[in-house]
Amino acid sequence: MQDASPTKRLSAEERRTSIIEVAKHLFARSGFHGVSIDEIVKEVGVSPAILYRHFKSKDELYESVLHEFSCTRESYVETVVAEDIGFEQVLRGMTTVFVNSIINQPDLLKMEMHSQLEGNTASQEFFLNRWKSFTDYIEYNLSELINHEKIKPMNVEAASLIYQGMIREVLLLKCLRPTDRLTDMPIDEIVDEIINLFLKIITPA
Amino acid sequence: MSFDAELDAKGLNCPLPILRAKKAIGELSSGQVLKIIATDPGSVKDFEAFCKQTGNELLSSSEADGAFEFMIKKS
Repeated sequence: MQDASPTKRLSAEERRTSIIEVAKHLFARSGFHGVSIDEIVKEVGVSPAILYRHFKSKDELYESVLHEFSCTRESYVETVVAEDIGFEQVLRGMTTVFVNSIINQPDLLKMEMHSQLEGNTASQEFFLNRWKSFTDYIEYNLSELINHEKIKPMNVEAASLIYQGMIREVLLLKCLRPTDRLTDMPIDEIVDEIINLFLKIITPA
Repeated sequence: MSFDAELDAKGLNCPLPILRAKKAIGELSSGQVLKIIATDPGSVKDFEAFCKQTGNELLSSSEADGAFEFMIKKS
């Protein structure tokens, strides 16, 4: 039999992707608990049966959304394999990659905020892991610099926490809730300035 | 498979395993092999990209008990 509307028919893969896309926005808007399967299928325009054909449960759908984010995970490889670059250059490079990933997908930051409040261990671990790239890098390198007496001893975990806090706040300010603070400065300039300040803290004149 | 140096990058997130591998490979001679153990799932893609960009050869990449093992031959 001829299909009446062949152009509207999506393949299983396309259907799956379209469900994930819609779910991503809804989870970002209302968190895991704030969205029902009914809402998702209504928004996608399919029956619950079709959604359940692709995802066994809301949990599985949520996990698939996170998985999708991790597949497009920012890669720091290019930044770190460049010849002879030091702590500052790598930190600037990594920060640029990370900040851009949020600018391109603010849903990721929104889902992280919801996940913090909801206390879902799996998703909290996912989001913590994204920051861990930074905190690991900072802690490891500051420890090395201290060992080689290039900088004064300090609590490196506190230093990495300061850095994470600064970057997170800039992202919140610029990507989620624009206010009248720093409106004249584009995000990359603020980030640059913040890195300058951070470097001054760890390497006092 | 035999190797000349080993790097334990368990528990570390990208890019640290890559940075430490870069340093470890720098200390090897051409043709020598570095074995790396990592736990970050992202390291699989990262080491592929690393080898592609640095020209070193990824001899093998495998997974066992939640850890990833890579063998890289210095070019």
